[in-house]
Formats: sequence, structure tokens, C-alpha cells
Amino acid sequence: MIGIDALTKDFGEGPVVDAVSLSVPQGAFLVLVGPSGCGKSTMLRMLAGLEKPTSGTITFGDVKVSDGESGWTIAPSRRDTGLVFQSYALWPHMTVAGNVDWPLKVAGLDKAERSTRVAEVLGLLGIEQLARRYPNEISGGQQQRVAIARMIAPKPKIMLFDEPLSNLDAKLRVEMRSELMRVHRATGATSVYVTHDQVEAMTMASHVAVLNRGRIQQFGTPRDLVADPATAFVATFVGTPPANLIEVEPAQDGIAFAGEILPASFPLDGPAQAMFLPETLRVSREAGPRTIALEFAEASPVAGRVMVTGARAGLRLTAVVDDVPGFMPGDTLYFAIPEVPAALFSVDGERLA
Amino acid sequence: MTFSGTIARVRAGQLPQGLVLKLVVLALLGVLVAAPLMRIVLETLAPDAIGAWTDVIASRLSRNLLWVPLSNTLILGFGTAVICVAAGGFLAWLVVMTDVPFRRTIAVMATLPFMIPGFATALAWTTLFRNNRLGGQSGFLESLGLTIPDWLSWGIVPSLVVLSAHYYSLAFAIIAAALASINSDLVEAAQMAGARRARILSGIVLPVALPALLSAGALSFAEAVSNFAIPAILGLPVRMQTMATRLYGLIEIGQSGRGFVIAILLIAVSAFFLWLGMRVINGRRTFATITGKGGRAKRMPLGAARWPLFAFAAAICSTTTIIPVLVLIISSLSTSSSQLFSSWTLHYWLGASNPDFAQGQAGIVHNPFILDAIGTTVTLGLVVAVTGTIVGLLVAYTLARYRTGLASGAIEQLSFVPLLLPGIGFAAAYIALFGTPIGPFPALYGTLTLLVIAATASLIPFAVQSGRAVIQQVSGDLEESARLTGAGFLRRLAAITVPLAARGIVAGALLIFVKIMRELALVVVLFTPATPVLAVLAYRYASEGFAQFANAIAVVILAISALATILANILQNRSQPWLKS
Repeated sequence: MIGIDALTKDFGEGPVVDAVSLSVPQGAFLVLVGPSGCGKSTMLRMLAGLEKPTSGTITFGDVKVSDGESGWTIAPSRRDTGLVFQSYALWPHMTVAGNVDWPLKVAGLDKAERSTRVAEVLGLLGIEQLARRYPNEISGGQQQRVAIARMIAPKPKIMLFDEPLSNLDAKLRVEMRSELMRVHRATGATSVYVTHDQVEAMTMASHVAVLNRGRIQQFGTPRDLVADPATAFVATFVGTPPANLIEVEPAQDGIAFAGEILPASFPLDGPAQAMFLPETLRVSREAGPRTIALEFAEASPVAGRVMVTGARAGLRLTAVVDDVPGFMPGDTLYFAIPEVPAALFSVDGERLA
Repeated sequence: MTFSGTIARVRAGQLPQGLVLKLVVLALLGVLVAAPLMRIVLETLAPDAIGAWTDVIASRLSRNLLWVPLSNTLILGFGTAVICVAAGGFLAWLVVMTDVPFRRTIAVMATLPFMIPGFATALAWTTLFRNNRLGGQSGFLESLGLTIPDWLSWGIVPSLVVLSAHYYSLAFAIIAAALASINSDLVEAAQMAGARRARILSGIVLPVALPALLSAGALSFAEAVSNFAIPAILGLPVRMQTMATRLYGLIEIGQSGRGFVIAILLIAVSAFFLWLGMRVINGRRTFATITGKGGRAKRMPLGAARWPLFAFAAAICSTTTIIPVLVLIISSLSTSSSQLFSSWTLHYWLGASNPDFAQGQAGIVHNPFILDAIGTTVTLGLVVAVTGTIVGLLVAYTLARYRTGLASGAIEQLSFVPLLLPGIGFAAAYIALFGTPIGPFPALYGTLTLLVIAATASLIPFAVQSGRAVIQQVSGDLEESARLTGAGFLRRLAAITVPLAARGIVAGALLIFVKIMRELALVVVLFTPATPVLAVLAYRYASEGFAQFANAIAVVILAISALATILANILQNRSQPWLKS
């Protein structure tokens, strides 16, 4: 449904989006995730038609909507897309109903049709009772619902979301997450969702593209990303908690794990980064054959288990274990390292094994 | 607030909190603001004075007393409002929403005209455009051989131009702030909806900016109808009267009853429009930005129009700032307005008395009247800076500490009233109240004390505003966190409160000082030879034909107020949010 091919955007200071290619089928929920400044919002704005690509193409179905080489771009309004802005961008001089109604009015629908549709989407979002209020008279969460209602009213085939939940508090964010997925299912549209929050990406997406510095690090399902990260960046960016990376290099009588020499248990030719999933680490008060000593940093209960973090200069490890004795800050912890890492990356982050 | 409710109940046996302070502040504002206004109304309603109302409104005289000045005033008010909103709005749009070159410079230049006293700009106009209709010195342009028609020299047109040149910067500041708050997302959301450029402008941008445009217009209107200096310098010589000049004339010739009636009507006209403007911006649909992160500032590319539009903006800004100031400076250094660039002299600044020059008037540094006036004006400015700051802090503190209650409401309302009052009308009210002895107190008319009280009262809204800024800076949290460390009251005062507040207080006081230095409308009515004030002296010199002296004094006022303003700005480090890109 959405096809992106070698898409590049350069504002004149080097590419912000750099030769990105991916495609998702009709009805997909694509999440673009990455740290701030990674180019994900720029990609979304190119999908919306608000920015022209420097090169590369965007195809919706069979229709090419943007072509960087020829400078050809279909106007935002004729792409059959809707966009929810990070700032919501509600028009402050119109009531809630007015905000939802205006795009329909611009589209030339007649009055009866419009009022039916406005009532319908306000009902879908559960905000019928706010219809006569102005945007500055309702709460942030309600503004968010209005922005979504306004976007879906014209029934776009593609729904775009630019960090829509970043202005909400934690509890509301979880609530709106399910709300958005419900809207996505109810409309049957294809969604593209931009966020810097990997938890949102993991919970909502059918497809995730992890972006860093304008390039796709990995494109796949949430499960793929956690189980089989393509780069060291992805490994440390996704998952709750994210995976541990330890710098390893061959030593005389074993392998140096961040300077600590442990018996060799897997083949290693040169310096690399080894990935260990938090649930595979063990923690104890006593040193063992394959342990690294760290200073206790923090512990928090997670779904019946405990997440423990230990740190020292240059190394920080997190383990998820069944139970830990009451550690105090300053205590020394011994993290037991499994014999074989879950993955191995080169020093510059490429996947080795 | 159940917690404070409990405390209030515990103390139920005592006086309500802060009642004494509130009553003191209320009494102070009552004397300064409410009493003069009530007095001026009562004065005109007294049995022997009530005839003044019929004289003014419905008699053979009322055409000249009221209707002609009123219509002139309204023409100037509406004209100025339209021009100011157009010019200020245009510049604000350029600076905030487009990629015009030198945006920052334009933004700074556009706020400068308001710093130049209105009478200075008017004097610069006469220096250039004066024609020979009234005899005396002719202006520079006529000396070049051009014929300047009367309508360009005197009356409505030059008054309108100079008023607009003075007040458009107010409109600019208001509209620029409003436009800066329009998130470019709003426009893009409309684009997504498929609206075309014209539809976006009429459906989104204009409605969102409308309250700011209206309030800018209302403010410009109120300022223009209240202005005395500009129509007095450019209109009075050809007998063009506005409400303000008519009021001044009536008080001058001792017909204070009729003057008071005109003052009340002028206050009503100006206050009505200001109130209307504020209603618009405080209504239900105040478009205070809907918050939210994001919202990049996407500037509209002007393309080929970039430099022409810049040139146009630069022309507006420089003809209203640099040119008038240069004209005043050069003219004060020339023997006459007609020879601005040929015959220069330092006589008006340094010369001793010489019968060949200006009927023997000595230059500024030797002229006893002017030196005396500089002394009086600076004294007045300093004293009012102190009294105004004290009153402002007192009111702001009371309002910040006790937000609710009848007395607080009354204090808030009263402290805001002088904003609605034209200076000259307010001065008339002061004559009504203090012109005659009250009980044991002597009549204050003609004393510096009266000037101080009237000026302090008229600046209360401004002083309260700076007071609030100061009090906010020293918000409770900071003081409380110092208290938690165990520091005593004096220690906290010295280490936290004073260092935090000092800059704000001094900056606020300096701005009050500047306002007094330039004030003409308020003092011209209260002026007597015993209380010579610079602005009034400049006005007198100008109306007696000593243009160079008037211009030189204007330059002195400009220099003093520019210095003080710069100092205050440095202290306040004022932020102009619309300049951030």
C-alpha cells in the first residue's frame, strides 16, 4: 500500500533522511521509531506531502505521490491522507465540532452529510458532549481526541501520527494507545506513526522501522527487532529493558569482557560487542566463575520479577531476575554472564553473529 | 484549598488576614484614582455648574465646543487605528511569518517610534513641512523652492500621519506577539484539509489574528484620541481643535466647568473603545495558544518580493525613527529650519544671550528657564519613579498575597482604571479635586506636589505591572526554600529577595522616569510658571516660533530617555519571543 523507495531529504546541511526504502501492505500499522533528530518526523511530513523529497519516490497503492528526481509532489489534500500533529494544531477560533466540520466543508460535503459524520466521529472518540466547547476549554487528552476525530472525519486511506501522545501524562498515554489502535481497526486505514518511545512502537506496530541519523537500522515486526536485532543500535534501543552490550576482545587466557577476563566460551577473532538479554543474566552477592563485579545502581519490580542494574565506569548491565536480596547503593553485585551471547556486533555496530 | 480554609476557620476569632493592608491600599487608590474622578463629575453636577453640560452639548456654542472637536477627534482616532493596524500588522507579518532579510533589525526598529515622544516627531514634521501661511520661519522643504499646500503643513493630515508614525509600534508589538503564537501547524492542518491559500487566510489565519488586530486598533484609537501634543503642535495654529486641545484651551482661559465636561466626555470616548478592545481579547474565544510541543516555525518564502518588501519596511521604519531624530538634531544646530544644511551654529546649545538671535534667548546651557526646567523635570521624574514604584509594589504585593475577597477585587479594578484615562482628562480631574483647599490641606494647584501625585496616579497601572513582574521573580518557592535552610528574615531579605528583585525594581523605576520625562498631556494642564517642565517648555517655544529651542529641548529629552530606556532594557533583559526563530 505504501511504498517508499530510496527516499532522501536534504535541507542543505547533509541528508536528514538518507536513502530510506520500505513498503507495508494495506491496513498495516507502521511505526517509525528513533531518537530525536533521526529524521522520522521529516519522513512523515514527506508522506503527508508537506515536504518535497530531495530524491527517491513515495507510492500510495498504484499512484506515485512524490518523486524527488522530477520534483513532482501531489498536494497534501489530494493524497487521501490525514495527519495528527504533535501540537494537535486545533484551530482555536472554532469549537470542537467546528474543527471536525471544517475539513469536510472544504471538501465540499453538504450540510446534512457533514453533521452526520461529525456526530459519528465524535461518538467514536467518546467526546460528543464537548462539541460546543472551544479547544482552550478542554483538557490535553480531550484535545488529543479532537485532533484524531478531525483527522478521521474525511475517511483518509492513510492516517499519519506525529508523536501524538508525547504531550500526555503516563496514564493517559497508555489509555490513548489502545484508543488509537481501536480507531485504526475501526477505520481499516493504513497508519504511519512516529514516536521516540520504543514502548509505543513495540505495543502498537505491525511493522517497525528503527531510524538513526536518517537511515533505517532495521525494518521488521516488533518480535524480530527484540529477538534478532540487526545492529547494536537496535539492540540497545528496543525492548523493556533493552538488551545489554558488553565490549569483548580476545585475551591470552580467555575473553576480556569490558576489561574483565573470563574463560573463552565462544569463538572470537577480534574486538566486538556481545549482546546479552536481561533475562539471561544472573545476579548474586558472591563472585563465581563467569561473573563481573559492578556497583549496585537501582532495582525495580517488574511484573512479578525484579529489574536490577549495576554500573561502573564504562559499563552498565541490567538483569531481570526472580528475586534479589535487599541491596543498598554502594553494594557490590556479581553479574553472571551466559557462555554464549545472544548476538555479536562489530565495534561499529554491524551484526556479526 | 481546604487547607487554607481550615486555617481561616482556626483564626476565625481574629481579623481576616491582611485586612489592614488591603484597607490601606484601597484607601490610597481611592484618594489617587477614585476621588478625582468622582470630584470632577460632582463638580459639573453642582447647581451653579450644571449649565456647563447644556453649554457644551446643546447650545449655540456646542458646535465649536464639542461637535467639531469631537468629529476631528474621531477622524484622528479611526484614521490612526486603521493606519496603525495596517502598518504594524504588515511589519509584524514580515518579521514573524516570512523570510524577509534583517528580520531582527526590522523588529527592533519597529518598536522604536514609541520611544520617541510624540511632540518630537510633530516638531520634526513642522521643521520639514511648515509653510508660510502663518509667517515666521518657513520649513526646509519650502526653502528648497517647493510649494507646500496648507493641508500638508497643518491640520488633520499631518496630525494623522504623525500620530500613526508614533503609535504603529504599539500595534506592531501586539500583533507580532499574536502572530508568533500562531503555530505553523495550524496552517499545515488546513493544508492537509485541502484548503487553498485564500481559504486558509480567511478561514484560519485572519480569524486567529483578529482579536489581536482589534485590540491593537482599539489601543491605537484610544491613544490617538487622548493625544494632546501632536494635534496641538500641528492643528492648533490653524484652529483645528480636538477634544484634548479644546479641554486645554478651556482650562487655560478659566472656563473650568466646560473644560470638566469635555474631560468627562473625552474619558468616556477613550475608555469605551479601550474597554471594547479588552473585551474582545478577554472573551471566551481568547486564542491563547493551545499548548503542545512541536510546532516548527516554518517561514513563508517571499521569493522575488523579498528585497522590495524589505525596502518598503525599512522605509516605514526609518522615516518614523531615524529621520525625525536627525531632523531635530540638525535643526537645533542650524540658524533656521530653511537652512538645515548650510548655516550651522552652536548658538542654541552653547550661545550666550545675543539680541540678534531668537530675541535674545540664550542657548540651552546658559538659559535659566531651560536649566531650571531640566532640574524640575529630572526631580519630578526621580520622585515619581520612587513614589510610583512604591505604590506599584504595594498594590502588586497585596494582590499577589490576597487574591480573593471584595477588597482585593476593588483594588485590582481601581489600579487598572488610569489606563483608560487620557492624561489630559485625568489632569483636569486633579484640578477639580486639588484646585481648592480641602479641609486643613491647602490648594495644591501650581505646586510640584500636585504634579507628583497626579503623575504617580496616572502611572499606577504601569507601576503595578512592573511590580507584579518583580513579585513573581521573588515567588514564594524561592523564599521558602531559603527559609528551610534556617536563614532568618533579614538574611533572606539580603541574600535572596533584594538581589532577585533589585534589577526589576530599578528597571521599572527607570521606565517610569522615562514616561515622566516625555509626558506632556498630563503636565500641560497642571503646569504653572512655578513648575516648569521640559516637555511643556518645548511646546511653548514651538508655539511661540522658537523652533530651534523647541527642537533642542526635544533632543535633550530624547537623549535622557534613550539612556534611561537602554539602561532599563539591559537590566530587564527583556525578551521578545517573536524574535526567536
